[in-house]
Amino acid sequence: MTTMIQVENVAKAFTLHNQGGVRLPVFDNVNFSVAAGEALVLAGASGAGKSSLLRILYGNYRPTSGRIAVTHAGRPIDIVTAVPRTVLDIRRRTLGFVSQFLRVIPRVSALDIVRDPLLARGASAEEASARAKAMLARLNLPQRLWDLAPATFSGGEQQRVNIARSFVDPSPIMLIDEPTASLDAGNRNVVVQLIAEAREQGSAIVGIFHDEAVREAVATRYLDITDFRKAA
Amino acid sequence: MNMQVNPQELALDPQPLLSVAGVSRFYGERIGCADVAFDLWPGEVLGIVGESGSGKSTLLRCLAGIDKPDRGEVLFRGGAEPLDIYSVAEQERRRLMRTAWGIVHQNPRDGLRMDVSAGGNVGERLMDNGARHYGKIRETALDWLQRVEIAAGRIDDRPRQFSGGMQQRLQIARVLVSEPKLVFMDEPTGGLDVSVQARLLDLLRVLVRDLGLAAIIVTHDLAVARLLTDRLMVMKDGRVVEQGLTDQVLDDPHHAYTQLLTSAVLTV
Repeated sequence: MTTMIQVENVAKAFTLHNQGGVRLPVFDNVNFSVAAGEALVLAGASGAGKSSLLRILYGNYRPTSGRIAVTHAGRPIDIVTAVPRTVLDIRRRTLGFVSQFLRVIPRVSALDIVRDPLLARGASAEEASARAKAMLARLNLPQRLWDLAPATFSGGEQQRVNIARSFVDPSPIMLIDEPTASLDAGNRNVVVQLIAEAREQGSAIVGIFHDEAVREAVATRYLDITDFRKAA
Repeated sequence: MNMQVNPQELALDPQPLLSVAGVSRFYGERIGCADVAFDLWPGEVLGIVGESGSGKSTLLRCLAGIDKPDRGEVLFRGGAEPLDIYSVAEQERRRLMRTAWGIVHQNPRDGLRMDVSAGGNVGERLMDNGARHYGKIRETALDWLQRVEIAAGRIDDRPRQFSGGMQQRLQIARVLVSEPKLVFMDEPTGGLDVSVQARLLDLLRVLVRDLGLAAIIVTHDLAVARLLTDRLMVMKDGRVVEQGLTDQVLDDPHHAYTQLLTSAVLTV
């Protein structure tokens, strides 16, 4: 299978300049790779650095050292040293990030939020709307909410809008951080199915799942972050 | 294995729209801004953040052709030939500023003609660019007023009869009607109520995306930067102390000053 992510010797430490310059090491010498069609689940206690690692893979946090080859448009690119517009292009076409939190933008409707990634990848307005509506329906978001801005939605409703946006056109690489945190059992199962479908279509998945049942339903492989913990 | 990629291989634009090198501006002994260098690509939105006195507005004026830097060059590639905007004649620079660039001032009164109707304010820019057909000018002006959510019935009113938020939206229509390649904005939402700001921000976000504008936005508001910009430069004492993707700089700030800025806001 095609390697989609190759992590080499990645280390991360935070330096808090305004709190006495204290240095917080997170992990050191992280090495792993993920292939298309795999779902790698990150394990390790709370605070071990799972979310930090996921953010580093997305190019959001900058590692202290190491490199991360992301396969984009058929070739490996180091997302750590790539210039901003290359990172943005990688995110637009290759790399998706799914969190439990929706970044609400004033006045933008739920439907438009979900349509947006399809439009950005060149789908027609008609196709984008049809697929977005199907995805919102699948996640059981009441139709009366589709044309409203999600600022006033409940936490679970916002979360489902965010998941719909992420899975309406799954990226070749999906980074997933606790997507089911406040969902009921029915919607949680829908999310598990969506992840499985994306993987079967060839997406490489890296995720963090608190819920053990979800974790076991999703994972094809585990990686324990605690192993990379710096000897303090 | 070489993983450095030339963005051109990804079919991204081959050349920056604006190349800035070594731009410095001094006021006697005091530094306005020093040694600023960056490339801006078509469709990219760059934010410049920092507190009052950090040099961000001085830098913007140097970049926008308003205030000549003491050192450095600003190269614009909007036309057939790259143009060093401070080595060409004043007249040529003014023509460029009128046609290929747009400047949105913090205070709409600096960007509008207050004694000319709303339609006239928008139409004037079209006439500057050679439009002569009255009917078409009025039609385009009307279309732009609606895009910035000003009712058609207000086309003959003067800006002084408008609220602050409306004046700012009118200024944006006046700037964008001539389809500039590059837009400079100085605190575009400063001085507006929060609810009015939200509407203006959403409007700017949609217009920038739909028109594929390149823009440089000076703001002290990190939430505005988060919403509108792709990249950030953080300035302190006239120098750029940190730069990168907007979410990198805001979520994982490395410089002490950026850490101070991001920790000083309640939620970004």
